[in-house]
Amino acid sequence: MNITRFFIALAALLLGIGLIAPTLTISPMAGELTWLVRILAPEELVPSTYSILGVIGKLYQGNDFFLVLLLSLFSVLSPILKLSFFWQASSQSYQQENSNSLFKVIHYVGKFSMAEVFALALIIVVVKSFPGGSSAQLEWGAYIFTCSVACSIIASIRIEKKDRNKALQ
Amino acid sequence: MTSISDFDAPKPPPWMGALVPFLIVLAAAGFYWLLTSDKEKSPIDLDSSQEVKLSGKLSNGQTYYIFASEIEVYPTNLENEAWDRGEKGPDIRYRILWKGNAVFESVTKGDSLIADWSGLSIELNWKDLLGKSVSPDDVIKAGRVRFDENETIEIVVQDVDIASDDDVGRKEILLNGLSIGKNVIRLKKSPANAIRRITLRILPIGSNLQDLANIMK
Repeated sequence: MNITRFFIALAALLLGIGLIAPTLTISPMAGELTWLVRILAPEELVPSTYSILGVIGKLYQGNDFFLVLLLSLFSVLSPILKLSFFWQASSQSYQQENSNSLFKVIHYVGKFSMAEVFALALIIVVVKSFPGGSSAQLEWGAYIFTCSVACSIIASIRIEKKDRNKALQ
Repeated sequence: MTSISDFDAPKPPPWMGALVPFLIVLAAAGFYWLLTSDKEKSPIDLDSSQEVKLSGKLSNGQTYYIFASEIEVYPTNLENEAWDRGEKGPDIRYRILWKGNAVFESVTKGDSLIADWSGLSIELNWKDLLGKSVSPDDVIKAGRVRFDENETIEIVVQDVDIASDDDVGRKEILLNGLSIGKNVIRLKKSPANAIRRITLRILPIGSNLQDLANIMK
């Protein structure tokens, strides 16, 4: 196995774990009435930890279909699709046969490299701006997810470098 | 004789390779899920074991909050007369005596045959608690007693009047017979007693607010 493929496989492995590992802990607060809610309905203030798929599920339950679509696209489908393209592009035979069209796609997909992290950051910003002092904390799953993105970026750089070298020859 | 070499073997379509990352993602997610699905069950088990500690009989040496959440009195006083002049009901207040000492006195509930107390402090300065965790000691309005075998408490109920407070009744209660949570004690009318019912709540000290709130429900 070449190094590029190793990074793609590692990115896929980390992505799989990152999608269902704890990513975000949301601690709800009720502002000035927090103490009262804590007594009368303490279950409302229990911190909830979500994975990325858990967040999507929760949004789906809340009929937030636009956000479900956005997150599914940028956090689940886009990374998997990207890694699939990278895997294909790293194949020697495929490079010879379809180099031009595939590398155009890779170049395009590469622009979304950080989109997953952006989506994650968006959730945190949204929760952080909730009224009542609610807060969101990143869990270890978010770092695994970010490592997956980093591995896929390395893979994409190596593929592009190989393509450039080939063009020079 | 013919032999099929690797070169002659049918090659998988090129797009098959693209499935590899997808399969790795699926396998990693599935494996992680399998590993953690058992662990997720254990906190629930722990919670249920804690539930047991928050119910049942009192434990020796443990200190408890104790308060009456409801006291009902008979429609007439000890002399079988109306409680107050006119049609006004009694103004009920109770005290808890432990080892002969008053360890708690409630606020007075005016004009009621069934008086209730939440057990929660209403003097709580909530502005100080903004976004902070609340200590049960700051919130619970109740007497504190330590349970020992054959230990008793006495509930003294009075009708508060401007001139002088009238006795409604008093009841000595053996702590052995009480359990954590709600305890209802029914009493008969007699020349010395006009209390119909006392609902006592017992909460273990040292529990978190969530447990206490559950017991109070």
